[in-house]
Amino acid sequence: MEIFKKYPKLFQWLFLLIVFFALCFAIDVPETYKFIRGQAEFVKDPNQSTYVFLGKEVRYYAFDVFWRLPPLLGWLPIWINDSLFFLMNEWMPMEFWNEDTQEYKSRPIVLQISRNLTAVMTFLIELIREVLLGGLETIVAFTSWDWIDKNPWAELPGLPWTIVAAGATILSYKLSGKGLASFAFLTMVYISIFGQWKPSMQTLSFILVAAPLSFIFGLALGIAAFKSKRIEKALYPILLVMQTMPQYAVLVPALVLFGVGDHAAVIITMVVAVPPMILLTLLGLRAIPPEVIEAGRMSGCSNWQLMFKVLIPTARRDILIGVNQVIMVCFSMAVISAFIGAKGLGFNLLLALNQLNIGLALEAGLCISLIAILLDKMSLAWANKQTDYFGNLTFLQRNKNLLFFGVTVVIGILLAYIGTFLFKGTFNYLFEVPHNKGISTADFWNKGVDWIFDTFFVYIKAFNTWLITEVLQPMRALYLRMPAVATLVLVVGAGYLIGGIRSALVVCGLTLFIALSPWWDRALVTTYMATFGVIVSCIIGFSVGTLCFQNKTSAKFMLGVCDIFQTFPSFVYLIPVMMLFGITDTSVLIAVIVYATIPATRYTIEGLRSVPVGLHDAATMSGVNKFQRLTKIEFPLAFPHMMLGLNQTIVFALFMVIIGAFIGTEDLGQYILKALSDKNGAGIGLTLGICVAFIGLIFDNLIRTWVDKRKKHLGIA
Amino acid sequence: MEKWKITGIMSKESYINKIKDLPEFVRQFLGLIVLTIVIILSFSILNKFYGEGEDLVKRMKIEEERIAQEKKLSELISKLPSGILVTFDGTDKYKLTNELYEAVCNATKLIPQRAIMGANFLNFRAHELYTINGNKISDTFVKWDKEKNKCFAGFVVSGKNVGVDETITVSGEALSFLSTGIDTRVYFIKNF
Repeated sequence: MEIFKKYPKLFQWLFLLIVFFALCFAIDVPETYKFIRGQAEFVKDPNQSTYVFLGKEVRYYAFDVFWRLPPLLGWLPIWINDSLFFLMNEWMPMEFWNEDTQEYKSRPIVLQISRNLTAVMTFLIELIREVLLGGLETIVAFTSWDWIDKNPWAELPGLPWTIVAAGATILSYKLSGKGLASFAFLTMVYISIFGQWKPSMQTLSFILVAAPLSFIFGLALGIAAFKSKRIEKALYPILLVMQTMPQYAVLVPALVLFGVGDHAAVIITMVVAVPPMILLTLLGLRAIPPEVIEAGRMSGCSNWQLMFKVLIPTARRDILIGVNQVIMVCFSMAVISAFIGAKGLGFNLLLALNQLNIGLALEAGLCISLIAILLDKMSLAWANKQTDYFGNLTFLQRNKNLLFFGVTVVIGILLAYIGTFLFKGTFNYLFEVPHNKGISTADFWNKGVDWIFDTFFVYIKAFNTWLITEVLQPMRALYLRMPAVATLVLVVGAGYLIGGIRSALVVCGLTLFIALSPWWDRALVTTYMATFGVIVSCIIGFSVGTLCFQNKTSAKFMLGVCDIFQTFPSFVYLIPVMMLFGITDTSVLIAVIVYATIPATRYTIEGLRSVPVGLHDAATMSGVNKFQRLTKIEFPLAFPHMMLGLNQTIVFALFMVIIGAFIGTEDLGQYILKALSDKNGAGIGLTLGICVAFIGLIFDNLIRTWVDKRKKHLGIA
Repeated sequence: MEKWKITGIMSKESYINKIKDLPEFVRQFLGLIVLTIVIILSFSILNKFYGEGEDLVKRMKIEEERIAQEKKLSELISKLPSGILVTFDGTDKYKLTNELYEAVCNATKLIPQRAIMGANFLNFRAHELYTINGNKISDTFVKWDKEKNKCFAGFVVSGKNVGVDETITVSGEALSFLSTGIDTRVYFIKNF
């Protein structure tokens, strides 16, 4: 009994594991069970059972319920689809004036709203795109094609690349100084001379529409949530799900509602980019000391003045960090949105990867990464920049950058004009280096890839075969061998032991949703891939983080590396792994490991750094050596923070596994990819996305609850 | 009656108090056990309504047998020479043995228009109905008659003939087949 009292948790966990394994061994794999018989296929088979719910017929392979639960939520994707179809085609038809045909036309209101919304978005994107690249659409929108024919001078020529490059350099200088300005200049020159100017500006125009709109909506909703508890409670579950929902999955319903193209991509990007803005606005406003609010009230501020003159300026840094997040999400979405026809670098990257032209993909990927780093650094510099309210500056001192930019505009125009003479009969390189007319290193990289394959093929293949047959396949088989009841007992039991009955009920609900959907098997495969990635990432991340922490310079350097790697859109990680390992599960897993190692490393360093220096000194005075200090003091204290890193690692791994579907996996991601090209895929895509989000939320709930408890226990909460 | 109720409530309270008095780790252990039992019980109840494991095994076994039989037949067909296969002597075509005749009969699903037109040639009413209704066939069948040890093939022609609905079944012995290398088709129906 004493031993039970001494280690109660150990025995509880042991009991849970014994029950889990007992159930696994007691429940045999049904004779009829085959993994390839995916229930999600919705194919007609005489062996399938059916049930009808809400008028929807669901077909499925019925097994012993202990083995696999019947897909009692199988009606959900069909219902979502039908509801969307009903909303878009039948609900509330109204008469609308059609400008083209000059007559009234009957249209369902949702369809009309979605078309109006897409028209506004298209107009905004075109407007910015034509400022950057030139074009006629915007002017024609206000006049007509006949008017343009008569007045050719009104055609927008677009800004020469030299002016945009100078603008970016001057802005970077103003925000952060010479370092960032040089980086901005080099990035712009690289983009231009490598012939990526047009796709880059297309991507930039997309971000310049999506980011400000996301900022406005996010800020407004953040303020509303700060003001009203009800709004906050209503937003909370959506924000929670959106944080773990793969960006890829939200594309599918967007296709149905807004069609294909940049406009749909902008709208769906806003859906993904608004949640972090809301969260950071809320965080910033919450962190304002009550004294500041009191001071504002005592000065006689109205509610409006208090919000916009006191609270928002005080929370400026957090809000601007939100802007940074919005920009990064927008950029990441700009790449992924290529799947629904958004033009730009993402589209070129997708096209190159589709053709297996790794060289071209690398060029586009490098371009994406450079712009991502630049935007990240610029927005962070903006967030950290303090306004000097007391500087007594002259007009010239205050506006020197603006004036300088004005001068560069004139020089840029002059250069472009001179270019018309210099490059007569060919492309005006001082105005724009056309796509595929710049320098290209694609051949070099392609030859490099061929060389790698020729030289290391035997080793790579041997490694691939070993990994797949000896590690991945057995691991996958183990996951698929878990009966539903055993998995549920394990997850709910873990929830109960970590966070009590409340946590158990939450994870039970989340797990049941997945188990009752038609994709339980696929979810198990997703979890197995993510688990493999997380285990390896954590081993690497924790080790590298711990080693780098030993030296201040190396820790700073590693955090910088993490910063840079974190800015790359996840899609970019697929390029080098495809280069080395071709199209296999190994490629996906290595991309997962690389991507997910970033938070593991970062949180380890930050966790170890957060240990008070006083404790170090106390430990040294007590005579402990370095290793003892690390294992007995630093690790236990940093462990809660490192677990938050694990949480992030899981989310990152899940995102990457889902994107990995592009190079062939058998998990939920593959079904999301299929749903993208299915006319009835909206419901399926959304349900699959929720399933992935719920896998993330199960781990999130368990880890966060444990971390909170542990922090309280250690007295660092 | 009231007294019983009060005693009942008191005993319940005393049980709750007893549980509350238990040490924290024991309570948590009990909670875990209860939770596990509740989950397993819920699955047992669901299994009563939705568990069709054994039924499915039976159905799938039948289906698998059918697939295996079809596979065997298609393997056999792929070994046959392409062209006309006959069941009688007197031609230079490939002659089917009795076993092969049965196997080919069971594997054959198609009756091409040539065979239909040939059979119709000897059934004027069927031919008329077939032509009036745009060469439409309602149904076809190829069956092995175990008693007679013969293969019978036929088809159903239906439609309007001068405003009257008519249905005629034409059937006869399938005496020859056409092997395409992928499948076999009835080549000649002897309906006289």
